[in-house]
Amino acid sequence: MIEYAVFFFFASIAVIFAFVVILHRNPVVSALSLVASFFALAVMYVLLEAPFLAALQVIVYAGAIMVLFLFVIMLLNLQRQREEPTRPIQQFLGYLGSAAFGIGLVYYIAKYAAMALPVGPFVADARTVGVALFESYIFPFEMVSILLLAAIVGALLLSARGVQWP
Amino acid sequence: MAGIDKVDVALSLLKIVIVVGALLNVTPIMVWVERRGSALIQDRPGPNRVGPFGLFQAIADAVKFFLKEDIVPLGAHKWLYTIAPMFGLVPALTTIAVVPWGRPFVLRGGRVFEPIVADLNVGILLIFALASMSVYGIVTAGWSSNNKYSLFGGIRSSAQMISYELALTLSAISALMVAGSLRLTDVVWKQTGYFVLFNTIKLPSWNVLSPAMWLSFVVFSVAAFAETNRLPFDFAEADAELVAGYHTEYSSMKFALFFMSEYMAMATMAALVVTLFFGGWDIPWYNEPATFGGFLLSAIAFVIKVSILLFIFVWVRWTIPRLKYDILMKVGWKVFLPLAVVNIVLVAWFIAERWI
Repeated sequence: MIEYAVFFFFASIAVIFAFVVILHRNPVVSALSLVASFFALAVMYVLLEAPFLAALQVIVYAGAIMVLFLFVIMLLNLQRQREEPTRPIQQFLGYLGSAAFGIGLVYYIAKYAAMALPVGPFVADARTVGVALFESYIFPFEMVSILLLAAIVGALLLSARGVQWP
Repeated sequence: MAGIDKVDVALSLLKIVIVVGALLNVTPIMVWVERRGSALIQDRPGPNRVGPFGLFQAIADAVKFFLKEDIVPLGAHKWLYTIAPMFGLVPALTTIAVVPWGRPFVLRGGRVFEPIVADLNVGILLIFALASMSVYGIVTAGWSSNNKYSLFGGIRSSAQMISYELALTLSAISALMVAGSLRLTDVVWKQTGYFVLFNTIKLPSWNVLSPAMWLSFVVFSVAAFAETNRLPFDFAEADAELVAGYHTEYSSMKFALFFMSEYMAMATMAALVVTLFFGGWDIPWYNEPATFGGFLLSAIAFVIKVSILLFIFVWVRWTIPRLKYDILMKVGWKVFLPLAVVNIVLVAWFIAERWI
């Protein structure tokens, strides 16, 4: 009973703030609303009995990635840009594409019964995730870290262009 | 959620009241300690008019905060300007929920009273998660004030905070590795008891007394200073450099909220240092019984330890000058982060060799 109340409250928060992200004209407010949306998602994780993932969601996504987004937005000092009004063909294709995507998503999920729970006990604490990460998923783990390293090196190179090294 | 009845709910509410009440009271006490302590270090009297030894100075400050005019600067973004102090206050009040502050004891009906508001399985991750939320308070306050100095203070401080968050989490891992669990209650239980040194001296088995943990203790303490924006890392405020940094344009109650949240974050960090390294509620050389008397003694021990650490926070503030900003960032990334990583390897090796 209380889980329903919590779920609907935080689900509506997630959806409302997601709408604020795309509809608000001030980018800083959009970024902060995204943070609020991520917080609500973390509560969803807790409701799914994965508190470790909820904490990680807040630490990594809302606490580190969005801070960096906010830095960039605040330092860029964006003025109010007047957007050109969208043309009718753009609006039509946009609505058609997103409706098709949404319907296809719901249909295929319902058809292949991805809403059934997995068999076996569900354990998602730190020990299980850690063991899985270092035993079964060690190769994707190392590959992701190399990917991040490539991104960092690329960012350094792009930002150091034109700098005279002593 | 089986087995939760009215008594459990009542006990939880009592725990929340105790913890939040204690935390809210930290601010006036720390204001007095800060002002008298800084006066002691600077060889001057400090506030001594408002009460005996200036003890009611905090009340005078509170009255001032209530009665001051609440100014909103002209170009400020009204919504963000108003909610920025809340971003700072909420983490400060909620992170104390997972810190154990006394020994669990058995009540009359056979029920065990655990003096921790929320004994999560992922206890310490909640603290790290909410500590990263407090960065938003500073950066939003700095940006929404429509003031160059505030923006500088906000951006510098949040860059510093996210850099030292890494060193903080990585150095806390060593204490968690020793305990083998993320729960802070397990970390404290592992530090009860004692070990014998040179066959003569019986030392409490606190984490700070084992050599492998010294490096992580130093790194964690320094990162705790950086996280709470205390000198030598107070670029958020940087008096004499940035007017008042990110809270330049804040007056009356909103400034009071920033002020309070800084002291409460300091108290939470001090409580965390005590829990991870100084044995939490453990009284050295004494095996507390699981009764109300044992609980009371352990809670008093915890408060004493946290108070000593808070005094050290104040002491360091008025002793060490502020680092230059680029040196601080260099030290954070090039010194403390490698040290924290090396420390993990070191402690893991010690645990593997069963020396801890």
